[in-house]
Amino acid sequence: MNEEIDDSEFYHEDFTTASDWEILVAHMEEIVNQWNSEDRKQSPSSSQWVVKSEKLVYMETNFDFTYYHKNLEDNLLEGPEDKVKHVLDTWFDFSLMSEDHKHLCLAQWYGVNKFIVISSTGDVEQTNNESRMKTLLSAVTVLASNVLDLPIFVQVRDKWQKMYCGVYECNGIRTNFDTVHLIRGPYHCQYLTGLLDVFKTKIRSPCTIEKIFVSYKATYQLQDFGNFVWRQECASDIIDMESFFTLPFGVSIDPVSSLYLNTLWSYLPEHSIIDSENHSDFKPLKAQQWQCSISFTKNPICLLGDYLGEVLEIINNDNTVYNLLGSFAVLHDGPKTNPLDLLTEPLVPSISMLLSQATRNNKGSPPLEKDVLVPLLFFLFPDAEKDSSFPYGATDEREPLQKKFKIFENMDQELKGFKTCAEDSLVWRLAIVLANVLQSLGGLKAFCHLWYEFVQQMRYRWDKSIVIPGVPPGLPDLRTGLLNQKLQMLNCCIERKIARANLSYVSAENSEDSDDEFFDATDQEEFEERRKGKYCPWDRPVGRLSPFANLKLIKTGDLLYIPFTQDPVLKTEDQLEEDTDILLKLGTNNEASQLRARIMSASLLSDMQSFKAANPGAVLEDFIRWYSPRDWIQAEELDEYGQKQGALSQRMQLEGNIWMEMWQNSKPVPAHRQKRLFDDTKEAEKVLQFLELRTVGQIAELILPVLSHATISRLIVEAESLTEEFAKDLLPRTSSLARQCEKISRDIQFQPNKFEAFIQETIDLEMSISQFNSLQYKLNPHRLDDYLVNKCIGDLAVGRPIRIESMGQSIIGSRIALMLSDAQRLNCFSDVDPNFRRNGDLTFPDPVSREFVLRASCIRSSLYSAKCPQLLRAMISNGEFRLMGAFSEDITFI
Amino acid sequence: MAGADPKWQKDAADQNFDYMFKLLIIGNSSVGKTSFLFRYADDSFTSAFVSTVGIDFKVKTVFRHDKRVKLQIWDTAGQERYRTITTAYYRGAMGFILMYDITNEESFNSVQDWVTQIKTYSWDNAQVILVGNKCDMEDDRVISFERGKQLAEQLGVEFFETSAKENINVKAVFERLVDIICDKMSDSLDTDPTLMSGSGKGQRLTDAPQGPQTGNCNC
Repeated sequence: MNEEIDDSEFYHEDFTTASDWEILVAHMEEIVNQWNSEDRKQSPSSSQWVVKSEKLVYMETNFDFTYYHKNLEDNLLEGPEDKVKHVLDTWFDFSLMSEDHKHLCLAQWYGVNKFIVISSTGDVEQTNNESRMKTLLSAVTVLASNVLDLPIFVQVRDKWQKMYCGVYECNGIRTNFDTVHLIRGPYHCQYLTGLLDVFKTKIRSPCTIEKIFVSYKATYQLQDFGNFVWRQECASDIIDMESFFTLPFGVSIDPVSSLYLNTLWSYLPEHSIIDSENHSDFKPLKAQQWQCSISFTKNPICLLGDYLGEVLEIINNDNTVYNLLGSFAVLHDGPKTNPLDLLTEPLVPSISMLLSQATRNNKGSPPLEKDVLVPLLFFLFPDAEKDSSFPYGATDEREPLQKKFKIFENMDQELKGFKTCAEDSLVWRLAIVLANVLQSLGGLKAFCHLWYEFVQQMRYRWDKSIVIPGVPPGLPDLRTGLLNQKLQMLNCCIERKIARANLSYVSAENSEDSDDEFFDATDQEEFEERRKGKYCPWDRPVGRLSPFANLKLIKTGDLLYIPFTQDPVLKTEDQLEEDTDILLKLGTNNEASQLRARIMSASLLSDMQSFKAANPGAVLEDFIRWYSPRDWIQAEELDEYGQKQGALSQRMQLEGNIWMEMWQNSKPVPAHRQKRLFDDTKEAEKVLQFLELRTVGQIAELILPVLSHATISRLIVEAESLTEEFAKDLLPRTSSLARQCEKISRDIQFQPNKFEAFIQETIDLEMSISQFNSLQYKLNPHRLDDYLVNKCIGDLAVGRPIRIESMGQSIIGSRIALMLSDAQRLNCFSDVDPNFRRNGDLTFPDPVSREFVLRASCIRSSLYSAKCPQLLRAMISNGEFRLMGAFSEDITFI
Repeated sequence: MAGADPKWQKDAADQNFDYMFKLLIIGNSSVGKTSFLFRYADDSFTSAFVSTVGIDFKVKTVFRHDKRVKLQIWDTAGQERYRTITTAYYRGAMGFILMYDITNEESFNSVQDWVTQIKTYSWDNAQVILVGNKCDMEDDRVISFERGKQLAEQLGVEFFETSAKENINVKAVFERLVDIICDKMSDSLDTDPTLMSGSGKGQRLTDAPQGPQTGNCNC
């Protein structure tokens, strides 16, 4: 100690403890007291383990000091005698669930619900050394006598051995815990009789041991399901083309890898039971209780998830279809077909003809053989085939599938928000078939080939003016996916092309009698009159659709006609976005605003021109009365033609406003002679090029949302085939998946990581459904609609062990017994004796593991000591023999 | 959809905002949509604006809980002939101001039609406010406040009577609409963590701000 004293150093010096060992004990006690007080403040909720951990350093070794606490389930709270609360005084025998946390085996062995474990940090146990172990153990003993009612364990030897020594003190009784771990136990210890001897010897009570209670558990494992192996129905080896028209579902192998049956006996008096090498009273069919649990195949291939993953993998592939197909495919360069073909060919394209066209300039064999490709194309384009088995809209005409349960009814509503396409439309089928082709009909090249053929077909249909089937009618629906919009656009173009052709055909016919107008027959006479007298030949009205509300032109008094106008301009969302971009880039000032108005005014100009053509002598007021009636302010006075007078609204009279200006600049031109606002030829070509120039990744991006939509409906169909209870269990997962899917379909930019999460969820659901199906097949093959049975199977399918009520007599119990004895029979006899089962004997195989719990309460260690609880647990399985002992002695009266 | 495209937002003039909302004003011809927008964005009023041709927009940035929210407000032509053009812009709009003219019965009767249009062409979660404009013209009134209110309740939307001319409730309508959109957005962020993207993580728009944040709303 020199001139300066470091305060902190000074105050932390603890003069009451002398050695490291004492410091360790004090430190541990401090931690435990803190945990205890934390616990008192906040009692852990039941059935959840609370784990707390601190680090300790002792003898240059790091230790984990870990605390486990869980509220006991109610039925275990009452001990056999409820006076003492010794940890061993519970009814606990065997836990239904096995818990995985590293030290929780202690809870299963001793039934403790609150304990502390000291083990060295890291994977290698440092407490191999016996003297070290003893030092720690003595520290723990001191600790145990200071903190009451808390078993403390020290892990010793190698960690995988799970060996623990421990100590516990309560009400003047000290319990020592000890473990034996061997690969194979001594011969005499394999049966109850031997174990009882060990137990009694170990206790060495000065008095005779009055009662020993025995509990017993035997576990039977069924791995070879023989006839009970479940297979996904569609996973057959025969390739049926129709199987490529739907998404696959299920797992490739039986998802149930083993079934475990536990047969249990509890608290039998020692004398009432015999279990030795020669005879055992433990007959599985006579057990007090049966429990069943399942272990599932680890990561089997889930077909549906696998397909999605496969498509996701090509998302970053920047190759175009033409790059990958090489010389096989050629990019379209202008129509090469003979125009006369149109007359000689049938209206509906023959796909084989298309194919021969395609193969003409090919070298090498195509990735998809003709006999594979043709059925696929006929599926996509059923109109190309006579009496197709897969016409579009067939599902709509049928009664909507009666949903088995009401559970998924609301899902339909949720599914409406998907930005994809209609179910079973062309895009839907295309996405499914492409996924199938990619997965199992030749991979990426075949994928490209099918897309190529699809695009060829699109071009063919445009060239030949044949409407594309399976595409919802109408304008591009911006609520659907881009691919669907593009096809709708193409269809609109085709329809307009057809309409134009018909129109020119009609007008060609009509031109003979120089009457190229349409008008109501009743007006004809009047019209003829007027035409003769009033209009000059160059100023004849053209392009009249119908008179408008009996209004008359202000200047001439002629009827006001609504003109034929140009069809509206169609846009798909990507084009619309480009337009918006342009509008936005102009900025926000007034000039920009006027410029925007000019850009938007093309259709206004066109309408004005059509109007002028149909109504010679019309003025702006006439146009406004039709086009924007609110801008015509009516007065009460009548004009010379008997209609109400009026004036343009203030805004229409503004100096130099765009409406006035355009009216002045427009000439009378009927719609069909105007420059087309929407050039269907150009737009169709744009769509076709869009399709042709997609890279593989872009194609995947177009179809993935559709595929995920199809996935959801597939899952729902599968879930509908389950039992109602289980379907209900799955509902939250399914609907959250649907919402996830909807988000994905609406993302502007496709986000692969989101989709990966979606695939994982899909796989999980697919697994659950398959597991249920497999269990249903095994345990309830006749699909009896029994609430209890369904609930049990549902529990097993999600990994919850079950208790089987009335054991071998119950539906599930008898099935399990049957399967076990079948497996045993197959083991014993190579030939199956058909009479075997008739005997009614069910012979089980040997249990894979057995577990004994022996309990006693006896005076120890002296004659005048109190009765203390004693316990020995033996676990015997094929490669492991384990004894866990807890022996108590009175420490007050030694 | 364009409203939420990050690329698209970069192009839009300035980047000085935390969120951007796309709003649309719709309603029959000459109910006062353009005047309403000019009153809000420029605080100006002219008795006659040129009838809107097609679609136009204005931008205004507002603050909400210290967040800059850029409003891109699209003004549409009300004439029947412009329906196809304007409905194409419905997608991606987060809010609609559906306007009628309290002096014009027909414009009120069309409200139901407009609602159908919104349902057909917009996102499900788009928010709507019903606005009865020109409430300064008491003498010409044909739609009572109660009728408007009743219709709004029927449609499950909020309701205001406004006057662009007298500047009554104009700001209130926009503020309310922004509020509803923000609430809705926070709700969906709460219930669905996957909606949260990147920089916006853990932040609710209704929360007090926690330092600088650059995330654009991506709903």
